[in-house]
Parts: sequence; structure tokens; C-alpha cells
Amino acid sequence: MTAATSDSLLKKSTGRNTRGLLRLVILCTIAAAAVASRLFSVIRFESIIHEFDPWFNFRATKYLVANGFYDFWDWFDDRTWHPLGRVTGGTLYPGLMVTSGIIWHALRALTLPVDIRNICVLLAPGFSGLTAFATYLFTNEMTTSPSAGLLAAVFMGIAPGYISRSVAGSYDNEAIAIFLLVFTFYLWIKALKVGSVFWGALCALFYGYMVSAWGGYVFITNLIPLHVFVLVCMGRFSPRLYVSYTTWYAIGTLASMQIPFVGFLPIRSSEHMSALGVFGLLQLVGFVEFVRAAIPSKQFGTLLRGFVLLVFAISLFGLVTLTFAGVIAPWTGRFYSLWDTGYAKIHIPIIASVSEHQPTAWPAFFFDLNMLIWLFPAGVYLCFLKLNDEQVFVVVYSILASYFSGVMVRLMLTLTPVVCVSAALAMSYILDSYLTVKSPETPESVSSTADSSVSGNGSTASAKKAAKQEGGLRANRQPLVGIYTLFSKISVVSAMTAYLLIFVAHCTWVTSNAYSSPSVVLASRLPDGSQHIIDDYREAYQWLRQNTAEDAKIMSWWDYGYQIGGMADRPTLVDNNTWNNTHIATVGKAMSSKEEVSYPIMRQHEVDYVLVVFGGLLGYSGDDINKFLWMVRIAEGIWPDEVKERNFFTDRGEYAVDDRATQTMKDSLMYKMSYYNYNSLFPPGQATDRVRGVKMPEVGPVLNTVEEAFTSENWIIRIYKVKDLDNVGRDHASAASFERGNKKKKVTKRRGPKVLRVE
Amino acid sequence: MRSFALASVFLSLVSTAVCADESNLTKPLSSKFLLPSAFKPPQVFKNTNLVHVVNLEKSYPKESINVVIENTASSPQDEYYLPFTTRQMETIGALEVKDRKAPESGLFEVEAAEIDPESDTQYYRIRLPKPLAPKAQQTLGITYHFLSALDPLPATIQQKENQYLVYTFSAYCPSAYVTLKQKTEVKFPTTNIREHTVIPGTGKEPQSPQIQGTKYTYGSFGEVPAGAYEPVRVRYEFTKPLIHVSRLERDIEVSHWGGNLAFEERYTMTNRAANLSAGFSRTQFAQDAYYNPQSPAIKELKFPLRVGSLTPYFTDVIGNVSTSRFRSNKREANLELKPRYPVYGGWNYPFRVGWDADLKKFLRKLTTGDGYVLNAPFLEGPKQPEGVEYELVELRVILPEGATNLKYSTTVPVVSESITMHKTFMDTIGRTTLTLTSINVVDDLRDREIIVTYDYPFMAGLRKPLVIFSGVLSLFVAAWAIGSLDVAIKARSS
Repeated sequence: MTAATSDSLLKKSTGRNTRGLLRLVILCTIAAAAVASRLFSVIRFESIIHEFDPWFNFRATKYLVANGFYDFWDWFDDRTWHPLGRVTGGTLYPGLMVTSGIIWHALRALTLPVDIRNICVLLAPGFSGLTAFATYLFTNEMTTSPSAGLLAAVFMGIAPGYISRSVAGSYDNEAIAIFLLVFTFYLWIKALKVGSVFWGALCALFYGYMVSAWGGYVFITNLIPLHVFVLVCMGRFSPRLYVSYTTWYAIGTLASMQIPFVGFLPIRSSEHMSALGVFGLLQLVGFVEFVRAAIPSKQFGTLLRGFVLLVFAISLFGLVTLTFAGVIAPWTGRFYSLWDTGYAKIHIPIIASVSEHQPTAWPAFFFDLNMLIWLFPAGVYLCFLKLNDEQVFVVVYSILASYFSGVMVRLMLTLTPVVCVSAALAMSYILDSYLTVKSPETPESVSSTADSSVSGNGSTASAKKAAKQEGGLRANRQPLVGIYTLFSKISVVSAMTAYLLIFVAHCTWVTSNAYSSPSVVLASRLPDGSQHIIDDYREAYQWLRQNTAEDAKIMSWWDYGYQIGGMADRPTLVDNNTWNNTHIATVGKAMSSKEEVSYPIMRQHEVDYVLVVFGGLLGYSGDDINKFLWMVRIAEGIWPDEVKERNFFTDRGEYAVDDRATQTMKDSLMYKMSYYNYNSLFPPGQATDRVRGVKMPEVGPVLNTVEEAFTSENWIIRIYKVKDLDNVGRDHASAASFERGNKKKKVTKRRGPKVLRVE
Repeated sequence: MRSFALASVFLSLVSTAVCADESNLTKPLSSKFLLPSAFKPPQVFKNTNLVHVVNLEKSYPKESINVVIENTASSPQDEYYLPFTTRQMETIGALEVKDRKAPESGLFEVEAAEIDPESDTQYYRIRLPKPLAPKAQQTLGITYHFLSALDPLPATIQQKENQYLVYTFSAYCPSAYVTLKQKTEVKFPTTNIREHTVIPGTGKEPQSPQIQGTKYTYGSFGEVPAGAYEPVRVRYEFTKPLIHVSRLERDIEVSHWGGNLAFEERYTMTNRAANLSAGFSRTQFAQDAYYNPQSPAIKELKFPLRVGSLTPYFTDVIGNVSTSRFRSNKREANLELKPRYPVYGGWNYPFRVGWDADLKKFLRKLTTGDGYVLNAPFLEGPKQPEGVEYELVELRVILPEGATNLKYSTTVPVVSESITMHKTFMDTIGRTTLTLTSINVVDDLRDREIIVTYDYPFMAGLRKPLVIFSGVLSLFVAAWAIGSLDVAIKARSS
């Protein structure tokens, strides 16, 4: 007897161990797949930092590693925003850099001198493995199904919506922030379930880490209070909720205030008010609950009504007063643009000019999430079926994130985790239903399965319902349900397997084709099929770095500011940190005005070189002429009298660069610098712009105040040197015309025929 | 752990100190022995016949002096002095002397001598292997070159213009002794010589120079006293880059486990050619590349590597440079590099190249004991028709961890040597590293070799696996120990 029980116990524990081990192996494989699928660009190109913002993060990380944490904290960078400079240490989210720095130091302590660049490049893939694990934990809190967590992990690992921001080399804040987001949510759910201060404090700490890493922490700051608010409204207030929320809010707010960039925002800005409000609400509700226990219910009702009205009036009055007094910052433009997608275009063109701030087009959801997007509602529905506190969180999260992801392309990133979790819930529910359900022993069911399974979806739904009510009266009356047959099981499961396989193929394809280009290096195919690399950006940046003075100021459109800072190591006027609209507009004005207007601006800003991107020769469409209208618009926002967008369009409203181009367009510095000397590359009259697909005017533009300093191999980058003042005090136009050997125009006044003056 | 930290701090201090020393390159690093300031070389020799050849075919002047010396003293003499100006002493490289009659007998011992830092004349002392008997004669073959001695004139040119270089030297070969008969030959790269100094003829001597194609000959001249100087200035066409490497760091890393010899070279390269008078025009460049391929810009560097070299890389500070080709087959392994942009005069282009090779081709185990012999090229820079000059070459030979009893030999003049520890991937004590510094080197020394012998006991090879094994083991033990601790506040219910 005793031997038999111990044997079964052993079996049980062995089974659990085996399953645990298997799960561990699967999770490791998922993490490996998540990392591996992000390495396309490293294999195809090299270990290189991508795009624009990552170059700044990379540069900041190098500074941190070279100078130590305290210098980094106090870093005043005089090489950006010339002549203003930037208090970089106080105006960035240091989490990303510090994480890389810690990894770097840890590896060095193990005598593994890995280059900081490789750490930065591989940070995002590494953290995506952790994100998959965090998603697994989070999903396991939602359901008892053991497969849902693993499915969610694998979805999260390879969903393109997340890969788009976390391929190797995409060294941006989102690289670690998504992991922190999911993990903070997991800890929050855990804290809420257990009602423990420990989990609440852990959640707050990870929230603090998240705040240090990404501006998107505001999403958590609002989502958790919203969740709590919804729970309170649903009458689910509990001591667990009270303990976990107050712990999270108190510690989390303190933690977030340690970041200089955040500082006192959590108590002063409108975005953080909901968390504070819910904190106050919880105190009130807690107090009310306490009073309810002490006072008879009739008096309690009156008391409650008066109390609620009083508190509401006082807090509203306080909020309004503080807002008007300027203690609480009003909503920012970026926030308004979340509610009105047209807002930014009218009021803040600089926000609208960023492609990732555009509203999402609907195919993007399928592109980034594929089958998950249609499993998503099903998963949310399943949450409604079993609506505990944690399922409410998923519902709230999915509603909020769905809205935001529709407003801004980049917020697709915050939607992805909840989509993966919900889809995994739905998928695992389907698979569990069809894989593990045992056939009942009634013989009728077998006989009539064939016809009902053929009828498809409707019958499977009813079958599911029937399966749930097994043993009920209805089930007895109509037990002839299709899902018990091998055929229905196989067909549904194989369909799902096919979807999963297609999903994997789609993810791989999207990652490989859409998200794995460094954009610093362009690739093209030679006729023989081999890859040809177009490396003009780095060619020009390296030229700047090696052959110009250490403190030569470079003026370019703000897109290239971070790259110039990172690769060319030269001071720039404006960069991708777009906090100073006027300064950017100044550059926009210099680019869009005549030389005579631009030259004083450039002199005032001590510009030595001007860099423009020109794709006309190669057909590279992301060039400055195509971005030019944004420069004009941003400049017009500040100087509406001097720069007018209308003047850059032809009479017929076309944006033209060829013969039809307006005089304003042809006189603008940007146009001249883009097309200077371009004619000489072609036989006379044959010059064509391959981006705009037009034939250029016979005579190219003439430049007087700047001279060509360097042009990259495919003409993508053109660098001009700003001329010094003329030695003999002429203006540049006449000096240049003298150099060209033109005769000096006689300045004699031409007199018209003599006219008798009347009046 | 603390001792490690201390040691690393100390090492970093040492390395910064070394760096600080090396960055001050205005003075040659060569060993010197001091002579009294009023030193005059004793007049114990006379040069009976001297031929001085100035070769200007490359981007640095290469000179050779073939001289028949005769002992005029009454006792045997073995110290022959060779004078140079202070400026020349800073840029002279690879001064080598051998017996012209018996070149196989090896190089003579040569040492730089400093008499007075203020004086403009400095000496090299050549020690003859055998003292020369009175009245006896010996033929010396002296070769050397100067770095940064050719200057473009005009200093700025247009992108498609020809470049002209100026070189100034003495028609009378500088000598500390009386010279009875001598002539100076100049070899130019082309016949396009814009200017040259003419020395009018005297009674029995014809007017100099005599011109034969690209060869100009000054002299021959009759008896000339010691220290005579007759400046000659030539200006000639040289539309090629003047490749100047101000610092080359070359690492050779031996891996016994991997059977691999890894090379890495870091160049700080400048073009000393005439600067562009206006900005760089890409249109002009594209046209010139077609019509007139000669230009003072560095467009391509060719590295002929040892056959069997593999996995080369070419990077600079912002990543991989995609414009390179590697042609490797059974007979050759050519690495052809294109800088990101054509390097015109005054432009810089620092870069880094590296490659691997099979260790078996370079390393041999001695038949007795744990000894190994490594034979690798001292210098493997680009092989360009116009030549390459290196101001400072720092060669590091990184041997495996635990290698001892290190000895080396090379024919390249070395100004400093040190043996240090280089700590890198998972090292506990660090790898034995030999660092050699050489100055004023040119690409003529490409074929010179360095031979390093060292002992590498079998157990040293097992050090790293054992360290890693014990490290992981201790990690597991620690994890197990911590996991079995009971830190619960309330008593565990059993």
C-alpha cells in the first residue's frame, strides 16, 4: 500500500519535473528564435547602429563608458544645438545607456573585452528574448492553460510589430522598454492578485526602471490607475487592490522622480494627474469602506452622497486653480495630437513631419500582426468569459492600446504585447478544446459526427458550448456534437497549425524585407545578382570627421543631426531631439531662403559646412528636396512674412524642380545646393532628376556664398563650405562674378525719355 | 580581486605613461651616446672615391653612398663617422652599412651619436667589424632614406593639375673626411624636371649636371675638404600620392588552441601631397578617373598578403568599409582596399585591417623541450609603386597565456622593446606580449622578418579550460548553497 502511494507520488513529481524542464527548453528555444530573427541586418550588412535616434543613444553610451556615470549625469553637450548646447544628462532617459554600460562593465569584469558597439547593437535582440519570457509570465497569470503562456511568448518573440523596433542595431529606448513594460504589468497583476507589498514594490521598482528608459512610461502611469479605477467602478475594491496600488504609486512615483528629465513632472503635469487622482480616490473609497463598517446603512447613504460631492468639488476646484496658476503643466501638443490626428499638422508641423507620428494605415495592422489581429478580439472575448481582476486589465489595456495604435504608427508597439497575449489565449483555447477533449462514451455521437462537422464553424461553436456543459440536460438531449471526431479535431488543429506556420513565414518575411535595413547603408543588386552596397552616408561622414576642423559646425536638416554627431563627430546646429522649434525653423529658413538671406544666418550661427542629401542621381527618394516642404512649413510657422509655402508651388499648384519651378524655389539655398554642378555630369540638356523623374533646366544654379567641399560617390551627400567674408569687402555675388570673369556692370542710371511732369 | 584591480590600475598608468612618451615624436627615439660638445671626428680616414646616389623615384628620397675609405693614421682604426644635419637625423631611417666587396658578411654596427643638441651637425658612428690597418682600403656601401623630406611646390594645386616636388641636397656628399673624388647621381621618376641647380664647371671639371634621361649626374668633383656643402635644389614632377603613415600599430596574435595567427594593423594615414586649392569636385573626379588616371590622391591600397591568408577585414572608426576586395587563390592573396573617399593631399584616413593565417606556416616546435619558433613578417603594409613611409611602427607579438623565456631577433632597426602582459578574453595572468617600436621605416623593409622563440609548457595550454571549469563549478556550488538557505521569516511547516 505504502509502496504504491510513494510510487505514484514519484511519478507525479517526475511528470512535473519533466514538464517543467520541457517548458524551460521551449522558452529557451523561443528566446533563441526571438534573438535569431532579429539578426538579419547583422548578417546581411554588419554590426552597425541603425537609423537616426540610435546614433545618439550610441554616442551617449560611449560617453558614459568613457567618462563614468557622474560625468554622464552632468553632461553638458556643447556639440549639439550650436550655439545653445544641450544639458544632455538632464534631458534624456538614461536607462538604455546605463543598461549597456552595466553589461559592458560586467563583461569586462569577466575579462571579456567586448566592444561597446556590439553590446549596443545586440541589446535589443537580447532583451527581446527577455520580453518573450516576461510575456510568458504575464499570460500565465491570465489563464490556467499551460500552453497559452508559451504561445504568447512565441508570438511576442517574432511579432513584426515588436521586431520593427528591436532588430539588431536598432538601439533605441524601445529596445529595453517593451520588456520593462510587459514585466511591470506582470508584476502589477501579481501584486494585485496576492495583495502583497513585496510584489507591489517590485512592480514600482521596475516601473522606475521603465521611467528611466522610455518616455512611453506614461502609458503605464495611466493604464494602471485606469485599471484600478475600472475595478473600483465595478465594485471590486479590495484590500489587495488598496495595498498593491498605494505601494506601487508611492514607491513608483518616488523612483520616477529620481530621473532628472522627469523630476517633478509626476506631481505637476497633467499626464500624471490620473495616477494621483486614483491614489486619492482609493484613499476615499478605503475610508468610505471603513465608515460603512461602522455606521448604520441609512445614515451612511446621506453621508456618502455629501462626502462625494464635497470631495469632487474641492478637487476639481483645486485642479483648475493649479492649472491656471501654472503649477500643473497644461497638456502638451504631442498629447493633443493623440486625440486629434489633424492637430499636429496645423499647429506643430515639426511633430507631423516625423513619419512615425502619422496615423496608422489599416494594412499596417495586418502587416505587423498578421493572424494575431483577428485572434485578438477572440482573446478579449475570452477574458470577458472569466472576468477576474487580471482579465479586466487585459480588457482595459486592449481598448486603450487599440485606440492609440490607430493614432500613431509608433504606438503599434504598445499594442503588440496585449495582442500577443489575447491571441495566445484564444489560440490555446482552441487548441486545448480540440486536442485534449476526450470522446464521451455514448455511441450516438460517433454516428452523427460526419454531417455536423462538414457544416463548419457554426457547429464547432455549438460543439464547444456543448462540450462545456457536458453532463447537463441539453447535452443529454443532443450529445451528437462534431468536435469529438478525429476528423474535426484534425481539421481544426491542422488549420490552426497552418495559420501558425503562415504566421511564422510572414514574420520572417516582414522582418527580412521591411525592418532589417540599417538605412545608413543602402543595398542594391548588381546585374549578376550580387549585393552592392551604397555607403555614401558613411563616406561623407568619415570625410567630415577626418578632414575638417574638430569644431567645424555643420548645418543640415535635423534628421541628420544625430548621425553627424555620432559618425562625423562634429557639432551640429539642430538634431533629432526636436525641443527647440525656433532653432529648427532657423535652419529651415536658411535652407529655404535666397543666398543673401541665408548667408547672414549662417554667419551668425558660425556655420562652417552645410550638408544636404540629394538622391537625384541614384533615385533615392528620402532626400532633402522631398523633405523640403517641411522645412518651408516649419520656417513659415515662425516667419510667416519671409517664408511662404505658396511661393514654392507653381501657379498650377505643383511642386516642381525642373523648368517649371518657381523663382523662389530656384533661388532657395536648398535647391541650389542640391543641383549645383549636377548638369556637368550629363551631356548638355540631358540632366535628369531620377527621383522626381524630370529633366533639369539647361543651366544649373550658381552658388556665391558657399562652395562645394565634398560630394559622395553617388551624390547622396553633398557638403558645402561656407565662404569667409570677402577680403576686399565686396559682397559674395560680385566677388564670384569677378572670379568668373564677368565684366563689372556699369552702374550708370538709365534715363528714360524726358516726360513732361504734370500735376 | 583587489590585487587584480590594483594591478590593472598600475598597468593602465604604465600604458598611459608609455603613450605620453610616444606621442612626443619630434626627437628620434634611437639610442645615443653622448660625445663632448667640441667633438670633431679624428681625421684618420680619407675617401678616395665616392659615389652618392639620390633616388627620387618613390615618395621618399632613398640615398646610398658607396665609398672607398682609406686609413691615413698610423694605427688601425675602426670608427668611421657620417655627418647629418639635425633635421635629417630626425627623419633618417634604416641606415645600413655593409662591405661592398663582401655583402654577405652582414651589416656593420651603426650608432647615432649626439654631440650637442644645439649643433646642426650630428654623427652616425659606423664601427668596422675589423679595425682597418694603416694605408688599407675598404669599400663601404651605406644606404638610408629620409621621411617627409619631399615637399610639393606649389603647395596647393587644382584637382587635375600635375604635382611637383622639391628636394634639396648637397652636390658634395656630406662627409667628415677629405674626399678625393666624388660624384652625385640623382634619379628622377620622370623626365619632367622643372628646376635644377646648375653648378658651373671649373677648368678641368665640366658643368654639372650631366643629363641622361631621368638620371642627372653632379660631378665628378676633385678633392673636397671635410664638411663641404654645395646646395642643389631640384623640382620635378611626381603626380602620385605621398603616403605617410604617422603611426602603425601591428598586432600578431598567436593562438595555439585555434591553430591561428591573427594579424591586425591600425594605420594613421595622411597624404602629404599638394592640397586641393578649391573644394573637391566629384564631377571632375569622375572625368579624371577616365581620362587621366594619374593623380596625387590615394585611391587604392594593395596589400599582397602571404598565400593562405583568410578572413580579412577592413574597417574604420564608423564601421566596415565595403569597398574592398580580397583575391585569394593558391598563388596569391591580394587584399585591395579602397578608402571610403579618395584621399587627396592634406586629407587623413585612419583605418584598420586584419586577417588570419594558418599557424602551421609560421610556427615550428623545437625538437627538444617546450620551445617554439615563430617567424612572421615584421611589416606587411600596402605595396604601392610610389612607396609608403611609416613614421612609427609599433609591433606587438601577443603570445599565448603562460609563454615564457621569450627572445626575438630581427634585422629591422628597433628603438625600444618591452615585454608586458596583455589581458584579454578570459585571461587570468595575461598573455605574454613583446612590443617593439621602430621609427622612420619605409615599405622597402616589407620583407624583413621577426623571429620569436618562446617556451610554452603543455600545462599552460590547459590553464584556461581549467579556470573556466572551476569558475562554472563554483558558480553552481554557490547557487546550490544559496538555494538551500532558509531565509523565510516564519517557520517552515513540515
